[in-house]
Amino acid sequence: MSAALSRCLCRVLSRQTAPSSRSSFYSFLLGEHHHAVQSPWFAPVRTLKTSAPLRAEPKKKKKVDPRREQMLKERMRKKLKKLEKVAPEFIPIEDLITPAKCLDETRERSAPRLSFEESEGRALLLKEWCRYKQEQHMAEVQAVELSLEAQREALEELKLESEELYQAALKPDPLLFPFTHDGPVYTPPKSKYEAPDGKYNNITKVYTQ
Amino acid sequence: MAAPCRRMASRSLLQFLSCFSRTAVGNAGFRQFSSTSVCRATLMTQSVTARARSPWTLMAAVCLQRFPVISADCTPIEQQFRQMMRQMELEKSLLSDHELRLLEDAERMSRKQADDYDSDEDDDLGDQEIVLAQDLEDSWEQKLKSFQPTPRVTADTDEDLTSLERCLADSLFLLAEQQVGEGKLWLLPQTRWQDGETLRQTAERALASLPAAGLKATFLGNAPCGVYKYKLPKAARTESTVGTKVFFFKAVLSDSGPPAAPNAPLLWAKKSELQRYLKPSYMMAVDRFILGL
Repeated sequence: MSAALSRCLCRVLSRQTAPSSRSSFYSFLLGEHHHAVQSPWFAPVRTLKTSAPLRAEPKKKKKVDPRREQMLKERMRKKLKKLEKVAPEFIPIEDLITPAKCLDETRERSAPRLSFEESEGRALLLKEWCRYKQEQHMAEVQAVELSLEAQREALEELKLESEELYQAALKPDPLLFPFTHDGPVYTPPKSKYEAPDGKYNNITKVYTQ
Repeated sequence: MAAPCRRMASRSLLQFLSCFSRTAVGNAGFRQFSSTSVCRATLMTQSVTARARSPWTLMAAVCLQRFPVISADCTPIEQQFRQMMRQMELEKSLLSDHELRLLEDAERMSRKQADDYDSDEDDDLGDQEIVLAQDLEDSWEQKLKSFQPTPRVTADTDEDLTSLERCLADSLFLLAEQQVGEGKLWLLPQTRWQDGETLRQTAERALASLPAAGLKATFLGNAPCGVYKYKLPKAARTESTVGTKVFFFKAVLSDSGPPAAPNAPLLWAKKSELQRYLKPSYMMAVDRFILGL
């Protein structure tokens, strides 16, 4: 508003001083400049952009703006947190995923036709195997029970002998576990066998959550 | 039950007096010292009398076992079943990459041999045409034949009872010939229990005292696995000793070390061979905890 006023004033002044000489116009301006120090309404052209009312304008929104910006930032942060709360993806268990190779139809074998005798023979062999395994299992269970009984009797006898030794026998052995033993192999180990050097590329997939 | 109670009471008294002597200074400490030594003497005699009241002498023996090195042979029914399972699994399975390649190669061969064969129609496979799947199989067989595994069954070593390499498919147990009473007997290595050690330590001592050096074993726990008690013949019985109780401890052989001298009275026997060497009543007691599985 004040800018428009000052522009109007300028035009009026310029129209009035048009026929007069340049020096008078400048002196008029300078004269006005002296006046400008006293009153802001009669400011010369040079000082238009830096006049007091123009300088004072942007300072109006000081209190409201930072608060608004802060509110905006908080809202953005909350939105980001909501997005981040999504549960992480599960690591796929590769054993449970049927590979596409197995569903290929060209790989199917032609199912052979079994004769009656053969299918009967298989069924009978399965039954015999079942009986054999059951006997084996019962024998194992009995052997374990016998050995436990033997240990119980030994501990009883020891208790009759001396209480100290009995208490020492009951204590668990902390140095025993972890106990490892390599199981039986098919052929006995070869003494002085030099295994051939081999290299392999490890292609296992490692997943990170 | 009175004997152990008294022993426990005297032990606590001794502890009290010993801590008292530690805290006391100067002449007072000297006096306490003498009293504690008197107390200790009474404790010793009491423990000796407590043990002496029991008429059984204690001995600990070690049952050292070497686990089988190779898998046992299959029984006839196991062999039959294994064959049948292999057949069934083959029938239910899908064709593998190698088998598919074999079929393709065979088909391609037959097409090439046909009269109206146009080589431009064929796909450009490159390496697959030069090295057929059959050639790969042949090369693999050659490699297998060039490897000589150690034979599973060695009849010579099986005869030698003192060698540790005999009967690799069964578990072996260590027997020693030791002086018992008047005569020598074959039994699991044993030794007499001494004051101040646990029975497991006695068993470890029994193992260490054998002429075979370097036998390293892992003892399975502090508890005995079996007991064998026998009464001395009436002539040898005194007031203090009626008989002996032998407690057995199980151990697993971890390292055999250098082979023992050939004249050492030791042998490694399978469960079925134990009967030949052990006395019947001893065998009955030992048979229970030696698992023939």
